[in-house]
Amino acid sequence: MEKIKVRGAPKSWQRSTSPLTICPGCQHGVVAELLCDAVDELGIQGNTIVISGIGCAGIDAFMVDMDAFIMCPHGRTCDVATGIKRALFGKPIVVALQGDGDCIAIGAGSLISAALRGEKITVIMANNANYGTTGGQLAPTTLLDQVTSTTPEGRDPGLAGYPAHVPEMLVPFRGVAYAARGAVNTPANYQRTKRYLKAALQKQIDNIGLSFVEILSACPANWHRTPVECLKWIEEKMIPEYPLGEFKNADRID
Amino acid sequence: MTRGEISIDERYCLGCGYCVHFCARGCIVIPGDRFTTMGYLLPVFINLERCNACAVCAWMCPHQAIEVYKYVESGQNEPEDISSG
Ligand code: SF4
Ligand code: SF4
Repeated sequence: MEKIKVRGAPKSWQRSTSPLTICPGCQHGVVAELLCDAVDELGIQGNTIVISGIGCAGIDAFMVDMDAFIMCPHGRTCDVATGIKRALFGKPIVVALQGDGDCIAIGAGSLISAALRGEKITVIMANNANYGTTGGQLAPTTLLDQVTSTTPEGRDPGLAGYPAHVPEMLVPFRGVAYAARGAVNTPANYQRTKRYLKAALQKQIDNIGLSFVEILSACPANWHRTPVECLKWIEEKMIPEYPLGEFKNADRID
Repeated sequence: MTRGEISIDERYCLGCGYCVHFCARGCIVIPGDRFTTMGYLLPVFINLERCNACAVCAWMCPHQAIEVYKYVESGQNEPEDISSG
């Protein structure tokens, strides 16, 4: 009998920055792992540039070992991604790795403009239903009645509005080739989300249009739950509000 | 039956317990008296007989602390990546 390795950290996972600065049980690590896996399986590690804004999702980008990794001002991730994609004549695969605050709060204008222009980039939004880095304040994706540090009584729609559904919102944009939402709370959802990410990167390789994947991810520190309770909360509360699946999958834009 | 083994790197583990939760065969436990280098509770692999190298623990570990090994007969050692697909 001999021992062979069947699974360790993905090839494009970067070890040198460990120990990671994410909290115990924070699933941003799994989001970065999925991106690394998808990139490895498509064989584009040396050609992929990851752009990341401010927020916990910015830490994800420190975990990837690809062609380049760039931090940019808060919310301007899609703009910087556009600039890099165009300045290099569309050659690299550009991934904007964002959190929900970066993507749909301060960066909503950038995302919508990129979608209107049909920019050939891939946007990944990790949705943890609050602003994690600054201490768990209300975000556009916070669920109704969810307690955050700025809505101690729970989110009241009369005062704070309704949750944002980003992939559904992007469907009518003609420049958008792919929009999907996945989760990583079970092994089955993990595999499904990896397929979404591969499909999204493939849209960019085929030069069709903007591809977008939202990933629901646990935030134990700011939800004030244990990591395993967070997975249950995603299953029971978040998935009914944010249904998983592919919302748009266009082979060409005309 | 396929037999497997995992190693948990205590430099990277943050003791979240996802591996214990997701191992359907109960191969991992957090005994409570072992700690990682950063002071979190360290999970321990206990069951060499039951682990079938499914690698679910390594998928779900957010900190990439787990490596999964499979036992094969000597000679047939082309690694089969069960994580893809
Ligand atoms: S899932 Fe990873 S980080 Fe969490 S307890 Fe297991 S080995 Fe440690
Ligand atoms: S490889 Fe599968 S069976 Fe073995 S410890 Fe990990 S989850 Fe359990």
